[in-house]
Amino acid sequence: MTQLMTLILLFATSCFALADEKSAHAMHEADVFIDGSAIDIDSDQLERFTADLQGGQVAVVSVMGMVCDFCARGIEKTFKRDKSVIKVDVDLAKGKVLIAFASTAPIDREAIDRKILANGQNVTAVQILSI
Amino acid sequence: MGIRFIWLVLCLVSPILAARPISYSGGSTLMAFTERAKHSVYYHYSPTYQYSLGVEGVRNRISGDEHSYVRLTYLLNRKNTQHSQRNLYLQSGIDPVDLDHHFYGVHGDWETRRLFSGFGYKYVNDQGSDYEEQFVQLGVAPYLGNYGDLHTWLMLKSKKNTLFGSWSTYPVIRLFKGNVFAEFGYSDRSQWDAHLMYRF
Repeated sequence: MTQLMTLILLFATSCFALADEKSAHAMHEADVFIDGSAIDIDSDQLERFTADLQGGQVAVVSVMGMVCDFCARGIEKTFKRDKSVIKVDVDLAKGKVLIAFASTAPIDREAIDRKILANGQNVTAVQILSI
Repeated sequence: MGIRFIWLVLCLVSPILAARPISYSGGSTLMAFTERAKHSVYYHYSPTYQYSLGVEGVRNRISGDEHSYVRLTYLLNRKNTQHSQRNLYLQSGIDPVDLDHHFYGVHGDWETRRLFSGFGYKYVNDQGSDYEEQFVQLGVAPYLGNYGDLHTWLMLKSKKNTLFGSWSTYPVIRLFKGNVFAEFGYSDRSQWDAHLMYRF
């Protein structure tokens, strides 16, 4: 009986959560463009992330396999060791990592690939946004 | 004293427990685990995301024996997709003081942000009282938290230890925030099952 109740609880919770997720997506959906191309990112999060930046660049990295907060911790720690990186944020829903670089010098995209791979995930795209 | 004392201290100072057996490259993980059969504290370091080396102190709650293991965990296979990750790990450990005490096993998981499934098998050579452990675990996240939020999983775990006989199924709650992870389960048969982890 206890097991049956637990199963029902899990199923019901899941249904409610799926409904919440759909409405949350609708609220934050907005187009963000880099070099004329739309990128799938939460515009509110990007706005908060860039609000205090004075110049530099933001790399928007699309990552496969970044399914949990715990998995993404290593990505943040790895990039924060890089002195050219000002800050890092993660959008778990979209599978994006936002990396703010202080300099306007060209960003080493292969280095980004290597650092993400060192955490066990894969990069599918890197888009650069100038601030 | 020994393992039990260290475990208690860890529980007090570390509010989390975790599940992943390998960290990111250069990462370390400290775990504490307790269940009906044993108490354990485990530290591992991951030179790369593909394997980890560690030491584990185990206190067998049935025999009262204590052992220290040198452990190796290897990521045999990982499949990343846009919305999921699947892993298969091999694990092994040996007591360098008493080579008759060793274990090996395999465990795997598949998860999305919403769903989790995992399984494991472990054979423990315990000098005459050898046993096997098996488990399967299914979970769902009742809400999808953002990065940095408290994340919660509601799970069902079925476990069998050949020392105790048949399978036992019970609810488990998993919580994690930042670098801290905790998982608690309870059943009349298996009693408390707790796993805490801190990654740094």
